[in-house]
Amino acid sequence: MNDCARLSDRMPEVALERSVWTPDEAAHLDECDECGDEWRLMLATHSLAGRTPAISDPVALAAAVQGRIARDRAERIRTRRTWSFVGAAAAAAMVLGVALADRGGTPPPAARVAAGSVLVPLPELEGLETAQLDTLLQNIDRPAPAPSSLDASTMGEHEDGELEQVFATWEG
Amino acid sequence: MSASPVLETPSDHALAAAYRAGDERAAAELVRRHAPAVARFLYSSGAARDEIDDLVQEALFRAFRRLDGWRGEASFRSWLFVIAGNVLRDEYRRRKGRQMLSLEDRDLPDRADPDADLAATDTAERLRQGITKLPRLQREVFLLRTQQGSGYTEIAAALGTTPGAARVHYHHAVRRLKELVK
Repeated sequence: MNDCARLSDRMPEVALERSVWTPDEAAHLDECDECGDEWRLMLATHSLAGRTPAISDPVALAAAVQGRIARDRAERIRTRRTWSFVGAAAAAAMVLGVALADRGGTPPPAARVAAGSVLVPLPELEGLETAQLDTLLQNIDRPAPAPSSLDASTMGEHEDGELEQVFATWEG
Repeated sequence: MSASPVLETPSDHALAAAYRAGDERAAAELVRRHAPAVARFLYSSGAARDEIDDLVQEALFRAFRRLDGWRGEASFRSWLFVIAGNVLRDEYRRRKGRQMLSLEDRDLPDRADPDADLAATDTAERLRQGITKLPRLQREVFLLRTQQGSGYTEIAAALGTTPGAARVHYHHAVRRLKELVK
């Protein structure tokens, strides 16, 4: 590394007054135009930083940043809770749906497979309040809308062959 | 006789950890500590005087929002400068490239020596324009080095480049800007 490169590396810390020029460095600076120009640039950059308008009210700025952070945190927590609740509700609905189907007779083969794989402990439900569980159960108990072209309540009156045809229509 | 307790200034790392643990006062201290430097960085990068407060606030807010992204390879301040650079770029894009510097940004000369101050103001303003026109990496390396005195290893960590590349960017910036202050 030559003298110019060494001096260039030292310029920021001298300009920031964290160090001072040695007599040799000062002599080089006087003689070398390239280094002199770079040093003037360094000083001008410092002068520019010194012209920065002061922050009008630092206390208000800190308060504003903190306020935004607090609002953002609250929003994130709310969003996370909502999604946790929705996830727990969906899982619970699936488990209860399978359980009800089990109680109501022999479920179709697909439902039996689902029941075997989905019937697992749900720790999410343990964390719910009684009121939240009530809401969940009310939503599950609400009858689902009937398919547009079929009346599901009359399914029990059909023969197996007819039901096969209905299933074939649903499944394409 | 027991020695009186020594009051230590908490490091940025300690304050960041305290903030992560829920201490809002730690955030206030970090703001107080670094906001003026962020303002200097933004102003030198071409931000308009009357927008400094808003831009500093936005930069600090974004920093706290993703504080987990600061892993300590670079100093907190260097990391903040990079975020402030992003804020400025976004603002510039929002204005669809419209220049942020304005005539009102020029400082009025001091009454004591109007000629000397006018010359200094002109030089400073030319320099600011010049810094604004540098490619982004050159500008950020130059300001991190000149305003913070950061070493190339730290600059490289903050900007996601190598120390060698940071050195090259710095020297390119110096070569271009030197002409403006001759």
